Amino acid sequence: MKRNNTMEKNMEKQYLLLVLPGLIIFTIGLIIPLLLAFRYSFTSWDGMSAEKPFVGFKNYLDLLQDPDFRSAWWFTLKFTIGNTIIQNVLALLFAVALDSGIKAQKVYRTAFFVPCLISALIVGFVWLKMFSNVLPAVNELLGTSFNFLLFGDGKTVLSGLLIANNWQWVGYWMLIYLAGLQSIPGDLYEAAKVDGAGAWTRFKNVTIPMLAPAITICVVGITTGSLKVYDLLVSSTKGGPGRASTSVIYQTYATAINGRQYGYGSAMSVSLVIVLLLVALIQVKGLKSKEVQQ
Amino acid sequence: MAWNKKKQAEEAPHQRYTRTTLLIQIIMSVMAVVFIAPLLIIINYSFKTKKELYLTSPLSLPSSFQLDNYKKAFDKLNLATTFTNTFLYTAVSVLILALLCGTTAWAIARCRARFFKFCYIYFIVGILIPYQALFLPIYIIGYRLNLTNTRYGIIFMYVATGISFGVFLMNSFMSTVPIELEEAARIDGCSVFRTYFTVVMPLLKPAMATLIIMQAFQIWNDYLLASLYVSKKELKTLTVAIQSLFSAQTSDYTTAMAAIVISVLPIAILFMSLQKYFIKGMTVGAVKG
Repeated sequence: MKRNNTMEKNMEKQYLLLVLPGLIIFTIGLIIPLLLAFRYSFTSWDGMSAEKPFVGFKNYLDLLQDPDFRSAWWFTLKFTIGNTIIQNVLALLFAVALDSGIKAQKVYRTAFFVPCLISALIVGFVWLKMFSNVLPAVNELLGTSFNFLLFGDGKTVLSGLLIANNWQWVGYWMLIYLAGLQSIPGDLYEAAKVDGAGAWTRFKNVTIPMLAPAITICVVGITTGSLKVYDLLVSSTKGGPGRASTSVIYQTYATAINGRQYGYGSAMSVSLVIVLLLVALIQVKGLKSKEVQQ
Repeated sequence: MAWNKKKQAEEAPHQRYTRTTLLIQIIMSVMAVVFIAPLLIIINYSFKTKKELYLTSPLSLPSSFQLDNYKKAFDKLNLATTFTNTFLYTAVSVLILALLCGTTAWAIARCRARFFKFCYIYFIVGILIPYQALFLPIYIIGYRLNLTNTRYGIIFMYVATGISFGVFLMNSFMSTVPIELEEAARIDGCSVFRTYFTVVMPLLKPAMATLIIMQAFQIWNDYLLASLYVSKKELKTLTVAIQSLFSAQTSDYTTAMAAIVISVLPIAILFMSLQKYFIKGMTVGAVKG
């Protein structure tokens, strides 16, 4: 018995050695920065001097009054909500359409998917040129006069960015829905048909509940992905016109790295981390409770 | 699993090709053209001369096939250096990730001590908080540990920020490793390490391929971390070089378009050749069973 115990202890040690390198790297690279952000957010550190004067909750109280910070959050929230709705609906529609027995499904799959392989930075630049040069030329060709200069006006910049972001990501989430759809056993539909359910009822009562795990993944993924938007803005709108498309991360970058207010910037980071964690927890809890148990 | 079923569905389609299907086919074809058009326009631009850019419509084809823009992009991006850097950062990071996440996820799955359960939750926190939200303290810690402007520094950070997803992904593959094989190896006197490297790791190859392609595409396309961590010319990555090209040449962007094609090509080729693994990685958790 005793020998067995020492052997188990010995094995546990070896397992520990396997986990340790990853654990250390992860702690230094992500967890300590997380703790540092909390710590610095209570100081007025400028990023250079050795001392970091403690200011208590001043940064957070200032944030609540800061119109630039509020507008950054407002933009980020609109961008996130817009993406979550449009991307989920389009991705699901596309997936259902591809799964409806059309020919050459693979070709369509690739066509919709390819944009997500491109860096968001490049996507921003491509749509900048699409709106300013290419689409006006399409107008000329068709003799129409749509206003495609979406990035030039504070009122339309959000829709322009939503178009760019959805162009990039719809195919990605579509593939996840498609995998979900194709894993639904056909006999469930047969049974529903026998019970006299129409196409819409079958979609609502069979497809949607069976897709619940995929919906969870897509909703959480799109929300977190949109809340962290930055690369897309750097090459397209640069946060403008004015501050119309300045996201939380963009604003944090400008405040901390360019404006040398590390303490204040850290408080902004913390606000984003808290929102991300809350959103993830609420969504996972809410969506998981709707998933069917098999 | 889902993809096997899909194959069956293709062989024996349960739906007939009706008029509705035809209508859907037409609508989806239009959508596919809309989605592909920007890509074709990029490629079209990349072959145009500066003169054509100003004088002809963006939709017209270039009058002759010339690679001047590519040559210019090659110089302006400092491609020999930036391409090698990006490739090096990506390749080394994903290999380390494959190794680390494999061992970590396996140990977590096999060892029943409470500490390992805690480890799993600890790693998962990193999925909920994307590194972009923590870019500022990540930059500060890199600066203080002298990780900025070094090759190992940026690789370290790519590993640290990719580990959460990697452990999650590898963990979901662990049920594919038959525990009987491991027990047999142990009875033969293999240590935990040898069991992992001789028995488990070979079985995890498909999982590792999935992990490698998913992370490679993230790291290759990353801009924020690379722009924070490297400012030295000889350490810059492709995306950082492309961004300076974008901001420097707003009027003559044919070169930038060629640069885009150059940077997208490797990852597109990687995707085409490892598509199966990529999709597997994306759909982890989305499909039951």
